[in-house]
Amino acid sequence: MSLHYLKEAVANNDSETLIRYVRLHLGDGNEASGRKEIDKAWIEALKLLLEVPETDRGFILHTLNHQRPETLAHLFFHLHFYLVQHSGEWIHDGTL
Amino acid sequence: MTAPSEQPNQDHQPKQLRPGLWETINERYPGSLVRKSDYVALAPLRKPVSQSRLTFVSSAGVQPKGTPPFDVVHPVGDYSFRTVPSDCKPADLEIHQIKYPTRDAHRDLNVIFPIERLQELASDGVVGALTPNFFSFIGYNMDPERLERSLAEQIAEAVVAEGADVALLCPA
Repeated sequence: MSLHYLKEAVANNDSETLIRYVRLHLGDGNEASGRKEIDKAWIEALKLLLEVPETDRGFILHTLNHQRPETLAHLFFHLHFYLVQHSGEWIHDGTL
Repeated sequence: MTAPSEQPNQDHQPKQLRPGLWETINERYPGSLVRKSDYVALAPLRKPVSQSRLTFVSSAGVQPKGTPPFDVVHPVGDYSFRTVPSDCKPADLEIHQIKYPTRDAHRDLNVIFPIERLQELASDGVVGALTPNFFSFIGYNMDPERLERSLAEQIAEAVVAEGADVALLCPA
């Protein structure tokens, strides 16, 4: 999708178009795969926390409190791909 | 992304190698099909290729190891480029791109970034010389205006600064 197309969707509060875009982006152009990838990332995050391991919550809170929303949004995309990769099921080889 | 203008497959015109490709892209990435009417005509060769200095511009996301990886996760794309020394070996390079099939490129980088083939062509005298550096970026860019205004301009300036007579452009 072109940026113009996305900005138009934002201006029109067209959430469906934006959701579809996110799924297409995360699924390499395949909406169903993108939806599955989003679930996969959340499941992986859940699995990593089930044993309630020690985490650096100070780092998390400091990051949330001191970083710009844009940086956090960018981090969010990085974390998605990090978690997907951590799951061991990597579909992003361009073959979708 | 820029789509070719409507072109009937007449004998005097090059055939579309993958008919329907642009429609497929527009289905998978709605709104990405951008039609332009202000094409810049290809510049004619000023001297034979065998006497020309050739540069290579690729959207394959190939970059020297140790350079900041292309931002393949950003939803709107990465508008930076990397210089790739033209005397590099494939082992010196890595791919940071997830939007095209990279399996075979990881086996032999030359299938997507033919650096050794170009080195051979220069060595054999088929091309006069290679510029000291080649140029690489990723093709996943959702803002075609920014792509044209910033990234393409910067690469064009760098190509000129390298003293290139010919530029081989290769989309991934």
